[in-house]
Amino acid sequence: MAMLQRLRTRNFIPPADAGVSPLCVTGLSVAYHRQLALRDVSWAAPTGGLVAVVGPNGAGKSTFLKAVLGLVPALAGTVEVYGRPLAQQRGLIGYVPQRESVDWDFPVNALDVVTMGRYGMIGWGRRITGAHKRAGMAALDRVGMADYARRQIGQLSGGQQQRVFLARALAQEARLYFMDEPLAGVDAATEQTILAVLRELEAEGRTVICVHHDLQTVAATFDHVLMLNRTLVAAGPVATTLTDANLRLAYGQRASGLSLLS
Amino acid sequence: MMEGLPFAAMGHNTAMVLAGTTALGIAAGTVGCFMVLRRRALVSDALSHATLPGIVIAFLVGLALGVEGRSLPLLLLGAAISGALAVAAIQAITRWTRLPEDAAIGAVLSCFFGIGVVLLSVVQALPAANAAGLKGFIFGQTAAMRSGEAATLAVLALAALAGVALFFKELRLLAFDEGFARAAGWPTGRFDLGLMALVTLVTVAGLQTVGLVLIIALLITPAAAARFWTDRLGIMLLVAGLIGGLSGGIGALLSARFQNLPAGAIIVLVAACFFMASLFFAPARGLLARTLRRARLRASLGAAR
Amino acid sequence: MSRRSAPLSRRHLLALAGAAGLLPAAARAETGKPILLATTGQVAELLRAVAGDTAEISSLMGEGIDPHSYKLTRSDTVAMMRANAVFPSGLFLEGKMTETLDKLAAGGKPVHPAASALPASLLLHPEGAEGHPDPHVWMDVSLWKRALEGVRDKLSTLYPVHAETYRTRTATAAADYDRLHAYARDVLATVPAERRVLVTAHDAFSYLGRAYGLTVVGIQGISTESEAGLQRIESVVAMLAARKIPAVFVESSVSDRNVQALVQGAAAKGHKVAIGGQLYSDAMGATGTYEGTYIGMIDHNVTLMAQALGGSPPAGGFQGRLALAQPGR
Repeated sequence: MAMLQRLRTRNFIPPADAGVSPLCVTGLSVAYHRQLALRDVSWAAPTGGLVAVVGPNGAGKSTFLKAVLGLVPALAGTVEVYGRPLAQQRGLIGYVPQRESVDWDFPVNALDVVTMGRYGMIGWGRRITGAHKRAGMAALDRVGMADYARRQIGQLSGGQQQRVFLARALAQEARLYFMDEPLAGVDAATEQTILAVLRELEAEGRTVICVHHDLQTVAATFDHVLMLNRTLVAAGPVATTLTDANLRLAYGQRASGLSLLS
Repeated sequence: MMEGLPFAAMGHNTAMVLAGTTALGIAAGTVGCFMVLRRRALVSDALSHATLPGIVIAFLVGLALGVEGRSLPLLLLGAAISGALAVAAIQAITRWTRLPEDAAIGAVLSCFFGIGVVLLSVVQALPAANAAGLKGFIFGQTAAMRSGEAATLAVLALAALAGVALFFKELRLLAFDEGFARAAGWPTGRFDLGLMALVTLVTVAGLQTVGLVLIIALLITPAAAARFWTDRLGIMLLVAGLIGGLSGGIGALLSARFQNLPAGAIIVLVAACFFMASLFFAPARGLLARTLRRARLRASLGAAR
Repeated sequence: MSRRSAPLSRRHLLALAGAAGLLPAAARAETGKPILLATTGQVAELLRAVAGDTAEISSLMGEGIDPHSYKLTRSDTVAMMRANAVFPSGLFLEGKMTETLDKLAAGGKPVHPAASALPASLLLHPEGAEGHPDPHVWMDVSLWKRALEGVRDKLSTLYPVHAETYRTRTATAAADYDRLHAYARDVLATVPAERRVLVTAHDAFSYLGRAYGLTVVGIQGISTESEAGLQRIESVVAMLAARKIPAVFVESSVSDRNVQALVQGAAAKGHKVAIGGQLYSDAMGATGTYEGTYIGMIDHNVTLMAQALGGSPPAGGFQGRLALAQPGR
């Protein structure tokens, strides 16, 4: 029964001026077989805004996202969303996984996938109604995929698939979004669309945390950055955090020169 | 009016076999879709082979407890338990070691089945064992199906259909994107368990009908065939259930019409024929349709130049 | 041998190793008596009837074991190597032992199938199994008496020192068999003509049918390894209903699933068929009981058949030693 409530009620959001962080991670550590993929990461997300999670390959960026969401088991650490344990606040969370994580040959069309974002509101064993489908269509429209609603997802290009995933997350109507490399391997048009949506989300006061692959574009797109290399290297507004020193710490010698400050 | 239909002239035994195998086919076809889509087909194979030691051990337990004759519920319970243990073993191995999943499946399948064969050989020297007809679970003994068994299969088919209909969207979500489901708070672990329980139920119910070696075919083949007909999951489930039911029914009728045709094997062959036909001739994704589409595209390219 | 035979299977290697370990004792048992090994209990009975205490006699398969599907285990092979002579029932009854028995014989071990004493003219050949006679010869007591005499002749050749004992013992046993044969004929003659149909799980009783005047219908064929077909079950059900046969029979070494299906099928046609009782087909009854002997087994079978089919057998059977439960389960 608690499960049902969790899925259907709008979870707890404190008043905006209370200063409670949308996401507060304390001492998060994750192990993969014999090694520590993440060591003791503690961080609080800023209220509202776009956060990029960056770091070299194998830095644990995806692991961080998945551990926060509880998709991989954590060795230690707590995660709070608006001051409450994440497990109680899942109704406030939206998730865009990596494209590779699903089989695109699955027999569903784009609208079916996007409507999955509404399932949390529909609840167990209940039918999908016309209202839910309309909400799904609206989300598809927002990412410019309305014409592809009935197309089987395997017939979509990489960029189109990414937009469908984003639309699904939009349908969740979350306050806090987690996105795993949403701009990786997409065409220019898709990139523009996704960036526009991200800015809309920011304008609506929502928080978006993205694992981002491309250092070059971080400054142009995101306000805040979280730099990881198996542990927290630095975190804060892009302007003050993306320094040479921090880049060297995160990426090693070769990365300097990409910062905004010399 | 009924006299005109061939069913009126059908004997009771044939009617029972027909009803039971059709019901089993519907249940297996429907549930098997999720096994195919979740890439769990081989795990189902391990599950069905792993029922053998459970059956023999249950028989020995029954003997020790002084159970008179062959207690079918006890044997099937043993089958279910050892099947479930095999699935758990596979999951444990893939989670706690670096062994890839197909190696884990192969190891568990052969280990459990081997134990079963050894136990059977040991048990054959016990007087009650032959009377218990334990070997009949390997390839099935469809022809002797009675009304009780047919009724059980019918109930199972209805339960499977009801479960799938009720939790259609949840099952679709779980099968498509488990990570997203978990993040949204869906209890994917429990759903997975429920799905495996349903597969175990269908497997155990099918042991006496098509036997543990062939039940996997009834779970997988109709689903694989149905995939060629549609790009919508709901339609796929319906087609798979239909193909499964038809395979069961046609197989039963063929084995009734001709001498010396073991019903279990014929049912599986009919399902295989449906698969081949779907592979080649299904209009949506069949090979013929695809080849024609490409040819048409190539022709239109040529014309446009 | 110029032909390269298949490499020795692991079972054979183990058996040889085991036998090698027993070599000093292999020649004779500790008591100095010959070691005779039979496959089925019925054949072991023949050996006991002929040789009695002059030999150590045992059998591979006991009560309730199905010889058609029985697979040899390592200890069985060791026992075969250890025995001085091996006595199968013959005619491929022991379907999965053929290769081993052939290898034993080729290796010089005396292997004497009990059924080899029977001339081919007396054997039954079921339809569709050309070249493979029905092996269930012990069901006709007169045939089994011939097998008895064949065993006596073979043992006399092997152990001439005991030939006189064998002759006397065989004569006594043969007289018992003659009386049993007459009893079976008489008791089954009391079954009314229109009821003289014996329906069982598999075709084990053809010789009995021929000897004592019954039509025999088995659901499975002469081997339990074959799966019963739906068409077969339907036709037997039709016959049951048409001829109003009152009883069908299950067997101790075979699953009763097919017979239960018959009963339900007949009931659906409006004809109530009872299960007349459990017959001993390929295996005898429990060791130590009357039914665990050859005479007891035949006695039990024919008396039960007569009772269930509407005949009038004597209460205690052949020798007054039967305690038949009421028919039907």
